Amino acid sequence: RLFSSEKLTQRDHSLPNPSWSKDLRLLFDQFMKKCEDSSWKRLPSYKCESSQRVQDFKTHFLDPKFMNEQTVHGQLFTRSFEDGLGFEYAMFCNDAEKRIVCLFQGGPYLQGVPGFLHGGAIATIIDATTGMTALLAGGIVMTANLNINFKRPIPLCSTVVLNSQLDKVEGRKFFVSCNIHSVDGKTLYSETTGLFIKLDPDKRLK
Amino acid sequence: MIRRGFQVAARLGHHRAPPGAPGILPRLAPASAFGSSADSLVSRFCPEKTDLKDYALPNATWCPDMLSLYHEFLEKTKSGGWIKLPSFKSNRDHIQGLKLPSGLVATSDKTDWRIFTRCIQVEGQGYEYVIFFQPSKKKSICLFQPGPYLEGAPGFAHGGSLAAMMDETFSKTAYLAGEGLFTLSLNIRFKNLIPVGSLAVLNVEVEKIEDQKLYMSCITQSRDQQTVYAKSSGVFLQLQLEEESSQ
Repeated sequence: RLFSSEKLTQRDHSLPNPSWSKDLRLLFDQFMKKCEDSSWKRLPSYKCESSQRVQDFKTHFLDPKFMNEQTVHGQLFTRSFEDGLGFEYAMFCNDAEKRIVCLFQGGPYLQGVPGFLHGGAIATIIDATTGMTALLAGGIVMTANLNINFKRPIPLCSTVVLNSQLDKVEGRKFFVSCNIHSVDGKTLYSETTGLFIKLDPDKRLK
Repeated sequence: MIRRGFQVAARLGHHRAPPGAPGILPRLAPASAFGSSADSLVSRFCPEKTDLKDYALPNATWCPDMLSLYHEFLEKTKSGGWIKLPSFKSNRDHIQGLKLPSGLVATSDKTDWRIFTRCIQVEGQGYEYVIFFQPSKKKSICLFQPGPYLEGAPGFAHGGSLAAMMDETFSKTAYLAGEGLFTLSLNIRFKNLIPVGSLAVLNVEVEKIEDQKLYMSCITQSRDQQTVYAKSSGVFLQLQLEEESSQ
């Protein structure tokens, strides 16, 4: 529609690029196969979202005083890196089961303890994945709570799988949980519960 | 119920390798071996003479609020009590001469690794922050200005970017207050969105150190404290770094 021409010129980052590990490519292909019967869908991902949803957010919730020079040049945090250096990921959703799988490879610019992913980088991809799970169910939502338990450190540049699930909806509250596992499923890296709130259409953000 | 992974490793005098993780986490030395005083930790962490670039210094992109609060705390470092923490490109640069306990080294050393909170190099576009630490009170304050590349909702900082700033401030505080190394848990209650380009002030305190874990709390607010952006708590695992053997 109105914004589709913008999308054509923008790169979809949830597609393989040369920085993807073999593990990540294999998993991606496996999930693309699952998409063939439409039970699963690959979610495209752009640096600058121009979807209707974002336009709605700007129109209804954004106070004009926040729109300044800086916001014009904003871009999605998780896509603000050159290939392979930051977050390499692709999300697949299963509408019927209300869940998302995120295949994630954290690059060298996400370091914390030398050799391992920064806890904050892990929190970011968890927020992105659980946020998307809530968003698909509830529209424009905001993170209210994130409760993350880290079980084992994730080695830098490895590939992991995030499984996120919508657990419960209560009015405007969306309860989501998420686990991070190794590719072979044998190692559990972290467990998270999150709460997202659907923004009140009658209130503007401060 | 015994929790796996980190929690098992944290039990004092535990001699079995954690289930499902043979050799991944080392046996911990008893608590009395955590002898590094705060002074020695701080002096090692904040080298007086170094060629390394310190990213925690003002630049043209810092908003007026951030600059003035920075100078307020800089004054406090002169009268003692507070220390401005340097911020290098990699955590490796902060622990020169030290290494992770054997058994925990993941992959080979690569020079192009960067600490997450210094991932975006263009001034003002990513994380602009500086941390001041008060050793006597085991407290920290982080002045944080998120740039436009940290966006989540248009015009506001991504929830993950604030979570990362909290984790990073917890991490430096935990390390200097008691050799805390790995995040065990983060519990964040988000209240309000932080507009891109504005100042958020994170106040972190160590609540207690118990059972080889450091428990910390954080409140993130606007400078005038009229807006609370988020409240959080973090738990870190104490793990002593080893001296690198001279070869």
